[in-house]
Amino acid sequence: MTKKKTATTKKGSTPSSHRHTAGQGHCVDLLRQLSAFIDDELPSDICREIRKHLGACPNCEIFIASLRQTVILCRHRPVPPLKASDRVAMRRAILGEANAK
Amino acid sequence: MRTPALKTAPTSPAAQEPDEFDKLYRDHVDLIYRYAHRLCGETESAKDLVQETFLNAYRGLKDFRGEARVSTWLYTIASRACIRMRRKRKGEPQHELSLEDFVPTSEGEFRLQIPVDGLSPEEALQNKELRQALDQAIDKLPKKYRMALVLRDMEGLTAKEVGTIMGLNERAVKSRLHRARLFVRRELSARGITNHDGHPSEGLRS
Repeated sequence: MTKKKTATTKKGSTPSSHRHTAGQGHCVDLLRQLSAFIDDELPSDICREIRKHLGACPNCEIFIASLRQTVILCRHRPVPPLKASDRVAMRRAILGEANAK
Repeated sequence: MRTPALKTAPTSPAAQEPDEFDKLYRDHVDLIYRYAHRLCGETESAKDLVQETFLNAYRGLKDFRGEARVSTWLYTIASRACIRMRRKRKGEPQHELSLEDFVPTSEGEFRLQIPVDGLSPEEALQNKELRQALDQAIDKLPKKYRMALVLRDMEGLTAKEVGTIMGLNERAVKSRLHRARLFVRRELSARGITNHDGHPSEGLRS
């Protein structure tokens, strides 16, 4: 596996040019665009090309699934609610500081 | 949560600030606390950040013209305050995340998974190890990447809104977001997280 730097997939490049080897060529190109793909921000022809690649490249398919799961987990990361007593105490502190000067 | 912009700027600060501030605080303190907690990762720092944010908002209320949503204005104040506070406390170095660092270098690394199959996100996050791993991964992110991730993926803002808050163009926001997601994905999948039954999750150990 090489950390090969390649040009970003350009509009119009042929799906048949994909090489399905982990960490190489179009797998690396794909990695650069995964968030845009997940967020549905890419042109339809590039999305089509990526989907075709994913169908034939288990490594990329697994990688994108784990990235999607990461985003979903982030969205659902719990936050403890603010206590009512803290809400009151902070307001008092803010106004105290604001009026002190 | 979306809030409408204040329609008019206060014309008599001395008379109007307390009432306006009370409404501002009442309507937005939970939002800003949640954001602060997501940025800071713990309660005391989050409370400090909330206080700093609303103190600055109080002082700036008379100048707020309603050109942005109130929530966007507060997010912006909180983000700047967070950067100032963290810089003051830790002097933490800010390193860049390179995309090259996230290119898997082995078949096994490519195929690492996060053990959430068949579970809702809420169920998956009941796993303490997974939750801690997620918290730690986010905490380890350099703050400019963490901020983009929190605003976009947790607060649910658009890339354009995040750009307004962080003073970046959309392209830069998306770039930071992508690197942040790849970082968290790698941190999560590289750890050995056990299932509820205490056995190592499949897919985490290749």
